[in-house]
Amino acid sequence: MQQPAQTTETTSISWREDLATIGRDLVTFRELLVQLTLRDLRIRYKQAAIGIAWAVLTPLVVVFAGWLVRLALGSLGGAPAGSTLMAGIAVKSLAWAFFVGSLSFATTSVTGNLALVTKTYFPREVLPLAAVLAQGVDAAVGIVALAIALPLLGVGAALAQLWILPLVLMLVAFTTAVALLSACANVFFRDARHLVQLILSFGIFFTPVLFDAAALGPTGGVVAMLNPLAPILEGLRLALVEHHDLAVPLLAPESGAVLWTPLYLAYAALWSLGGLVGSALLFHRSEFVYAEYV
Amino acid sequence: MSIGRVEFRSVWKKFRVGPVNDRLRDVLPALAKRALGLRPGAAALAAGEFWALKELDFALGPGDSLGILGANGAGKSTALKLLTGILRPTRGSCRTVGRVGALIDVAAGFHPDLSGRENVYLQGAIMGMPQREIARKFDEIVAFSGVEYFIDTPVKRYSSGMHARLGFAIAAHLDPDVLVVDEAIAVGDAAFQRKAFDRVRTLVQREIPVVLVSHQLDMISALCNQAIWLERGAVAHRGSPAECIAEYLAGTRASSAASAGQRATTITEVACEPKLAISGGKTRVALRCEIAGRPSAETVGLRIRSAQSGEVVFETSAHQQGCALPEAGSFAVEIDLTLNVPRGLYVAEAFVWSYSAGREIGAGPSARLEVHAGPEFDGSVQMSPAFRLRELTA
Repeated sequence: MQQPAQTTETTSISWREDLATIGRDLVTFRELLVQLTLRDLRIRYKQAAIGIAWAVLTPLVVVFAGWLVRLALGSLGGAPAGSTLMAGIAVKSLAWAFFVGSLSFATTSVTGNLALVTKTYFPREVLPLAAVLAQGVDAAVGIVALAIALPLLGVGAALAQLWILPLVLMLVAFTTAVALLSACANVFFRDARHLVQLILSFGIFFTPVLFDAAALGPTGGVVAMLNPLAPILEGLRLALVEHHDLAVPLLAPESGAVLWTPLYLAYAALWSLGGLVGSALLFHRSEFVYAEYV
Repeated sequence: MSIGRVEFRSVWKKFRVGPVNDRLRDVLPALAKRALGLRPGAAALAAGEFWALKELDFALGPGDSLGILGANGAGKSTALKLLTGILRPTRGSCRTVGRVGALIDVAAGFHPDLSGRENVYLQGAIMGMPQREIARKFDEIVAFSGVEYFIDTPVKRYSSGMHARLGFAIAAHLDPDVLVVDEAIAVGDAAFQRKAFDRVRTLVQREIPVVLVSHQLDMISALCNQAIWLERGAVAHRGSPAECIAEYLAGTRASSAASAGQRATTITEVACEPKLAISGGKTRVALRCEIAGRPSAETVGLRIRSAQSGEVVFETSAHQQGCALPEAGSFAVEIDLTLNVPRGLYVAEAFVWSYSAGREIGAGPSARLEVHAGPEFDGSVQMSPAFRLRELTA
């Protein structure tokens, strides 16, 4: 294995070259990425009472919370918490747990590895990426659990469910983008952590996880969908639970309010891809001063 | 396995003193500029900045081994961090071709909760070793470290020596194209240090370019064929290791001389005649001195220091030798020395000694003295052997 020759001139480098470098670095250091992911998983589940069961328990608690909220709202005159609703919440909780888990571990991934960052060379991207990957392993366990739970909740199979593939890709891309950004920000400002903590605690109220975006009314629903995670989560629910083909708009039966349009898909894709490229570039261009700032 | 190259072309590195600006309104514009590729004036120093490294130039190819010496904070570690790619130069360019094996903080990637085995794989990956290579060398690495019995114990339960030894063992099994060593050989007990030293020497003998930073001067003279003395970020001297060490030792003395207290005696010049002698041969060291003001309990002394190790091999003074100095005026003191020392480069250092205070009160100049192999003896001291032949009657 050859470490790429690195030269630094005072001339600026184009973003295309930077992206190529990031890609090359990740290929060269793929084994480090695997090892760091393993490390993150091992320390998470070593000396732990229930181990990998946490991967299922965390989203399960979110689902339970959603059920409670629905029950409370239902007693106020809303729709009762049916099994389809529960399935929707379960799907979205799993995706949400993946997002917040990744963000939480990625934020401190660079600052928490002080000795590594100041003493050894490797592309720093692998640190937040390993956090996202480790969370991905957790999510995979959750997906298995979900695959068992959904049929029990009365959700059948349909072709429209294939939409979850691009949606999962978008979710991973967007999560990675936010992970890179927050890891980078936390190097320079330690209060980035507090901002992330706020997102972790209260983000669920601004994201349609326990409720559907449409529950906020025709305008409120559209505003809620501006949150890049909202179309991804709603899309996952619609495709997986409602068997809705995401290429087709969906209108509310009585009010005619827009519940879904393919534009949402494009919007989320734009955020995911644009965010990933942007934050990867930002991360890469600032990573050479990490050793001085950490 | 290939042999790498290192090239530093007029490398400058700027650092900031004191706390970094950590407010959003300070950093955001700077970050934006950086992201846009508009680095703010790399040539100039802003308030609170200093040059950690100034105009460092060197190129290493096959068979080159460079020792970098200097006081703490001279920029040695910064140079290594630039070489390994942890830092990027403010100005100039550093280029390394090939896999860099860095014996710097060799256990940096260890996680306390993971076992020795898991950490070997992790640390190996951090150092850029493919997993298959680690798997192949695993037993060798563990045997080298000597922690076989504890390999499945979390490293948080290791002693600091075991920790360092395991880290070094991994690093030692890298097959680097360029080797960088920062005091890392000085871990473990004497036997382990010997093993570590031998490992580095093997790589030097394989003609792999090596950069070694050490305060152990004899390590630099034993392993390197060129050296750079850094002082406050700038190259103060470059040349052969012995020459550099001699200059470094003389330089650090000169800077400590300024801090010495009041004294009446000044040594203006030191000269060895001849400058080049052989083991067991003779040289004459001449000191030119001046005494001003009141006479005091002062005398002049001479110290011979090995440039290989920085060790003092001999020290004496005029007072000790029963030579009384005049009370005032200029004079010269001549000292005849028999060089019962091994071959190598030496430094003759003059100093002012107070026999009332019982300590050195001023450093004088120094001179270089080169000793070549002589016919009379080999080794480190002249033991004046007397050889006799006795017939044995059976």
